[in-house]
Amino acid sequence: MAEEFEPKIVAFLCKWCSSAGSDLAGVSRMEYPYNVVPITVMCSGSISPLYILSAFSRGADGVLVSGCHPGDCHYIKGNFYARRRIALINKLLDFIGLEPQRFQMSWVSAAEGTKYTEIIKDFVKELKPLGPQTKLGRDL
Amino acid sequence: MVSLEDLKKEAKQILKENKVKYIIGYKKSTNGLMPVPAFIKEPEEVEKLVWDPTCVFNLTRYLVDEKRRKTKEKEPDERPVGLVVKGCDSRAINILLQEKFINREDVYLLGVSCENTGVLDEKKLTKKIKGEKVKKVEFDEKDNFIITTQEGKTKIPAKEILANRCLECKANFPVIYDVLLGEKAKRSIDNPFESIEKIESLSTEERWTFWKKQLDKCIRCYACRSVCPMCYCDECVADTISFAVTADTTAEEKAQKIKWVEKSPVSSENFIYHMVRAIHLAGRCIDCGECERACPLDIPLRFLNRKLEKEAKELFGFEAGFDPDQPSLISCFKDEDPEDFIR
Amino acid sequence: MQKVLTKKSLPQWVKKLLSYTIYTPVEEDDHWNFVATDNPEDINLDYPLTTLSPKKIIFPQREIFLEFCDSTEGNPEVKEVLPAEKSAVIFGVRPCDAKALTFTDKVFGGDFKDIYYWKRRNQTTLVGISCNTPPYTNCFCVSVNGSPYSKEGLDILLTDLGDKYFVETYTKKGEKLLNLAKGLFKSPTAKDKKDLEKIRIDSKKKIKRQIKNIKKIPPKLKEMFDSPFWDEESMSCLRCGICTYLCPTCHCFDINDEITSSSPIKGKRIRTWDTCQFPDFTMHSSGHNPRPDKASRLRQRILHKFLYFVDRYQNYQCTGCGRCISLCPVGIDLLEVLDKVRDYGS
Repeated sequence: MAEEFEPKIVAFLCKWCSSAGSDLAGVSRMEYPYNVVPITVMCSGSISPLYILSAFSRGADGVLVSGCHPGDCHYIKGNFYARRRIALINKLLDFIGLEPQRFQMSWVSAAEGTKYTEIIKDFVKELKPLGPQTKLGRDL
Repeated sequence: MVSLEDLKKEAKQILKENKVKYIIGYKKSTNGLMPVPAFIKEPEEVEKLVWDPTCVFNLTRYLVDEKRRKTKEKEPDERPVGLVVKGCDSRAINILLQEKFINREDVYLLGVSCENTGVLDEKKLTKKIKGEKVKKVEFDEKDNFIITTQEGKTKIPAKEILANRCLECKANFPVIYDVLLGEKAKRSIDNPFESIEKIESLSTEERWTFWKKQLDKCIRCYACRSVCPMCYCDECVADTISFAVTADTTAEEKAQKIKWVEKSPVSSENFIYHMVRAIHLAGRCIDCGECERACPLDIPLRFLNRKLEKEAKELFGFEAGFDPDQPSLISCFKDEDPEDFIR
Repeated sequence: MQKVLTKKSLPQWVKKLLSYTIYTPVEEDDHWNFVATDNPEDINLDYPLTTLSPKKIIFPQREIFLEFCDSTEGNPEVKEVLPAEKSAVIFGVRPCDAKALTFTDKVFGGDFKDIYYWKRRNQTTLVGISCNTPPYTNCFCVSVNGSPYSKEGLDILLTDLGDKYFVETYTKKGEKLLNLAKGLFKSPTAKDKKDLEKIRIDSKKKIKRQIKNIKKIPPKLKEMFDSPFWDEESMSCLRCGICTYLCPTCHCFDINDEITSSSPIKGKRIRTWDTCQFPDFTMHSSGHNPRPDKASRLRQRILHKFLYFVDRYQNYQCTGCGRCISLCPVGIDLLEVLDKVRDYGS
């Protein structure tokens, strides 16, 4: 039997909420797929489009950007900026023909360990039928 | 109608009065139909100036050079630079003002109206007249161009030979100027985003095939970046040396700098370059279409920028280049910004 | 060897050559480009000028030199990569583009022979097409010692005589191609030869653009290194790479290690085109840039082509194809610049 495809997800998590949320999922021993490589950043507003494109370019099958809920940002409004920027990147990725399921954004607070696991579970489930992401992968 | 004589008169006047350092306008080319940039310093040289529908270049690009030159001068000449601007070019000025790249007193703007039509596409015209030598191109009152060749005068409907950007232009007269030549003719377009919607209506795979074919052609000559008035960064992620090296930069710092885009003109690197450029121009691109015109391999680069222009308008009600005092697209937000794509 | 080939039998000839990779000019979007094909019917010799010259096949924009991979034992693996063994034929090479290759031959074939370049050069046969009418509005080959039917660098030259091609071979490589389809080629009649002569005389006359007294230019350039002339002329330059990347004679390159995986480190050493028009071309690691502005870069382009190259190889490094003029986004006219150089100060 052919081995089932296991997607690689790069998750950019803000330090104050989403990263803490993923930690909560961990210390609470919640089970969720191991397909995620988390990268903690200071704020979802600090994520450059280049990070996202580079993740795809280095072989990520999916990219997740996660930050604090609106109003909860540690830096007051970083996630509002992120919301705009990510909306535009989202549209552009879709426009050039990347499957829209491959790029997602979420709000996960430090208390939402369960939500984090749900998001990852759903993400993996959506990525599996798509197979590996080769469109933006490096072909050097 | 813009009278060339008026333009020359105005130019001569400001040069004589020493109001400006020099004037950037258009002059006849020695090798083809399209006029080339003219840098006019003396009142006598004003006679070189031309203005007709072949004046496609966006001259605001040269303000970037001017600023770089000025920062190097010990005692810079503080007088403004005179600049001939069309509708789209004037919006570029607004962006440069908005971003405080230039000050209003750095430029003296000779606004010219595109006479309800726009400028023409050299390739479309060449195809249309099948190799005949064009002597003169004029605006006509009623959505036509009058083309003079050896064979005589012909009237060609503007729609057939207008540059793509002009077909979708929403303000073909200057929005900011010191002198305005020609009238502010309003022109209605049914759907300014028609070409974008055509691509959007394709399936994901079809869109991918389209862009892969187009961007694989790229040879990374960076003409699109060089010709763009908004691409004024001193450091660009696409360059091998993408950061300013000073005497204090250590070897370690140099080694640790991330190379975001490799020099190889392969699919993945071309995509990163063009997408980064598109994102960086979101809310800043004023659709002068110069990137697309300059591209020697005819990559439809305008579509990438237009797509984000469309999204900026639909998602955030944002239009670039009309108000120099508005905050830039991605350095502001509204509470009600859409978030239906967020989980 | 002189032969004639009817236009109808061109595809039949190409059919016999299918063991080669065959390139032909193809119209893509709004420009022409050399593309590999295996359909003999695709060969198109009636075309203007390709945006990229056949330089892109002999000296590709991206060449892999070697692949490397780090290993845990401390013995990194290094594997040399050479161009694939596959002979190629390029149809429809313009004489100016072929002549340009004779210049890059000198550069890559001096004391050090560039194996990558020569491998491709030697396994490629160039089938040229004379320019009976100038394919480009800015053609000026005659001014730089070229001609619309120059044989330099070509293996075979075809000349359109209406319903047939006049075929001339200049090398063994070229003759080999003809020998693969012997029956198709006939000996030229006296009329064919007369027609050829007439077309050739006409074709030279049709070239409109020219540089007068080009011989005066190199010595003039020698004196003009520090002239403010370059500041004036480069005012409109955008510092893009079009003029040099599209030039059939420009051959500058950069070599980079491009990493495909960081753990273990895996990557390739790659040669890519580079151009003197980019600011980082001459950037030192100290941060000093000896050619800091576009004036010095334009000067470099002109001086390299019309002074340094002449000093070294007794030839202008320009074949008059006109690409840098026609495709410059701001219409910088090489011929106008050279005219001004020649008349500068007099």
